[in-house]
Amino acid sequence: MPHPLLAAGPGETLLLLGNEAIVRGAVEAGVNFVSCYPGTPSSEVPDTFFRLSPDGAYTFEYSVNEKVALEVAGGATLGGAMTLCTMKHVGVNVAADPLMTLAYTGTPGGLVLLSADDPGCHSSQNEQDNRYYARLAGMPVFEPSTAQECKDMTRDALLLSRKTGSPVLLRTTTRVNHLRGPVVCGPVSAPAKPAGFAKNPSLFVPIPAFARPMHTRLLERIETLRAEAETSAYNMVSGQGSLGVIATGISRAYLHDALLDSGLTGKVKVLELGQSAPLPEKLVLDFLSGLDAVLVAEELEPILENEVRVLAQKNKLSLAVHGKEMLPRFGEFNTGVLAEAVKSLAGEGEFVCASCEPAEGLPMRPPNLCAGCPHRAAYYAVRQVFGNDAVYSSDIGCYTLGILPPLSCADFLLCMGSSVSAGSGLSKATGQTVVAFIGDSTFFHSGVTGLINAVYNEHDLLLVILDNRTTAMTGHQPNPGVDATNLGENPSKVDIEAVCRGCGVTNLLKVNPLNVEKTKAALEELRRAKGVRVLLTEEPCPLFARRVYRKKPKMAAYVDAGYDASEGVLEKLACPAFRLCDGKMSIDELMCNGCMVCVQLSENIKARKRGA
Amino acid sequence: MSNVKPLRIFMTGVGGQGTLTATTLLAKAALLRGLPVTSGEIHGMAQRGGVVESTLLIGLKSPKIGPGEADILLGFEPLESLRALTYLRRDGLVFSSSEAIPPLSVATGQHACPDLDAVRARIAEWTGKAWYIPCQTIGIQAGAAQSGNIALLGAAAEGGAFPFGPDALEEAIKADMKPKIAEINLKALELGRKAVA
Repeated sequence: MPHPLLAAGPGETLLLLGNEAIVRGAVEAGVNFVSCYPGTPSSEVPDTFFRLSPDGAYTFEYSVNEKVALEVAGGATLGGAMTLCTMKHVGVNVAADPLMTLAYTGTPGGLVLLSADDPGCHSSQNEQDNRYYARLAGMPVFEPSTAQECKDMTRDALLLSRKTGSPVLLRTTTRVNHLRGPVVCGPVSAPAKPAGFAKNPSLFVPIPAFARPMHTRLLERIETLRAEAETSAYNMVSGQGSLGVIATGISRAYLHDALLDSGLTGKVKVLELGQSAPLPEKLVLDFLSGLDAVLVAEELEPILENEVRVLAQKNKLSLAVHGKEMLPRFGEFNTGVLAEAVKSLAGEGEFVCASCEPAEGLPMRPPNLCAGCPHRAAYYAVRQVFGNDAVYSSDIGCYTLGILPPLSCADFLLCMGSSVSAGSGLSKATGQTVVAFIGDSTFFHSGVTGLINAVYNEHDLLLVILDNRTTAMTGHQPNPGVDATNLGENPSKVDIEAVCRGCGVTNLLKVNPLNVEKTKAALEELRRAKGVRVLLTEEPCPLFARRVYRKKPKMAAYVDAGYDASEGVLEKLACPAFRLCDGKMSIDELMCNGCMVCVQLSENIKARKRGA
Repeated sequence: MSNVKPLRIFMTGVGGQGTLTATTLLAKAALLRGLPVTSGEIHGMAQRGGVVESTLLIGLKSPKIGPGEADILLGFEPLESLRALTYLRRDGLVFSSSEAIPPLSVATGQHACPDLDAVRARIAEWTGKAWYIPCQTIGIQAGAAQSGNIALLGAAAEGGAFPFGPDALEEAIKADMKPKIAEINLKALELGRKAVA
């Protein structure tokens, strides 16, 4: 039976994650083509498309990186396909090159780019505000705040893109991607057959002579899009009074609750901008007239605030514009933060937060490599061989968690794929020994280009490719190298070892990292050599193996009575299944994943059948 | 929406405990009773043994709960109940598991962790309305350790925490889960109810 996301009829209510609602919105619009690179908080969008793909009327692919995903999407929309491309905020940096030019060529079939921003850095290396990209490219922006809007805005953004030929940015934030709420479904449109590409180089080949008129057409299109925003149903005015608040994205939800909690609902004039760019200037001017002061509530950068200031100045308005001097420019807002700001501007006294002091000194519970994770074994071996004598260049994935002591195998990190190139730059500049780590998916994403560069420029680098046969951190998405996915075998595998050799790596060793002695011996051998060297460690992620290969561990490790704490296995390996109680180590059989690495480190740690 | 009494429920636990499954089930039960519901979750790296926090709000729009705002705190692990106490309003309700899952630094002896008595004492300073349930034991008794999350929901529903009774949870379980898993969870729900009755 097809999934409710595909099959639900008009008027039916589903309880959906924001990311699932985005999928439904695209299905309602009649989407033809979906490409992506996964990344939290966006990942459930492509994962849901992938899971439903046997029954869906669309074409779906996991692309190798965000630039490729957007280029593939760009080709599809130029051929007339209604297209959605999804990624997280930092992914748009990778895709920025084709994005700027797609805004010039236009997107005949319709193209929506989902950028999932991450205020608060819940799972990201920065808090960049991708609404700047929309201004840079000249694209309209939709910013949903509820599951219903995730659905409706995705549909309407695709339809607007198809109508106007402009790519559209659907900008979510972690809270929106990962909220859950009721969604009333609309009718599903059967995807229209793509019209096919109509040759016209002056429209689609941006050589300078053609690019100049493309730019002027883009500037004209921005005004068309502004007119759309002026009358958008997502831009709503409510309440009255001399104090106004302009809110966008999830701030709209916080504002709603803040006014409710403060008894100010209806007593403050509110402009919610769901379709927030290009700025609907007439609507905003009309809203501002008669106000003494306005507060602009937007997470991260003061983008709307500055646009409102410019508008007010151009029109000689004397009202006070408030924003980032009251509300933080980092992290997330919440209801209390907005209640505090609005109450103080309304002269309603202070908002008092009646919470107890956070408990101090509690042990932290940071995310950690799972019990049985092959990365722990690889890091353990590297630390045994190199200790503190090497600089460890890290990359983006589960294995970044190797930063935690006692493994301490992450000294610096820039972005996806940087472990290879930044690592070889450091070694070239300083002569220090560098060991770089990269996962399989990240290697295909952008590690391979750094490797080609390292070979060509004769860098001195040991690259450890941690291949766990899946993209583990974001939820086990396939990549070109995997053997299988939850939909079955991967029929067109790309072999990492052959790729490395094809790139010119002559010194490559391959090991199962769960074999500690062999891994250490391989590392010793590579340590003695010079130039670009690769150690390929291959062993599936145990969570993935359990889910997809139905592989359950048969054995568990246990600590024999003869174990002496001075053997240091507990401190050096720090597996989450280990326990120390009254100076004695034990192993929690429920947690143990049966990797048997600890068994190799002490003759007093042994294997036995589970439950024995 | 205006005639519904706003309610904020904060949930916290350890990755792998089923905190998010419980959140979704609770949201479905609320929706079955026609309540305007929003829930939120923060995860990502959390499945790797980190803290999972989720929220459920009724009659409100935000998916987030700030310090001092929660009416109810559901803690699937006692240390995490204590850590999240700052989100609870004065005299709010606490339903917590009494069974600890030590963080790695505690399991390897680097840090000490407050025991259950210390957790209870600290929570008692902020609210007198707290209940402690051996969730994992009840879960194992029902047929799967993971169903301890549903036992906690059962306890809270029995304790009158929600604007609907355990029957709504029962309906949601039956509508949402495969028969074999539903059976285990219905049993966990029942045992959780008995634990506070």
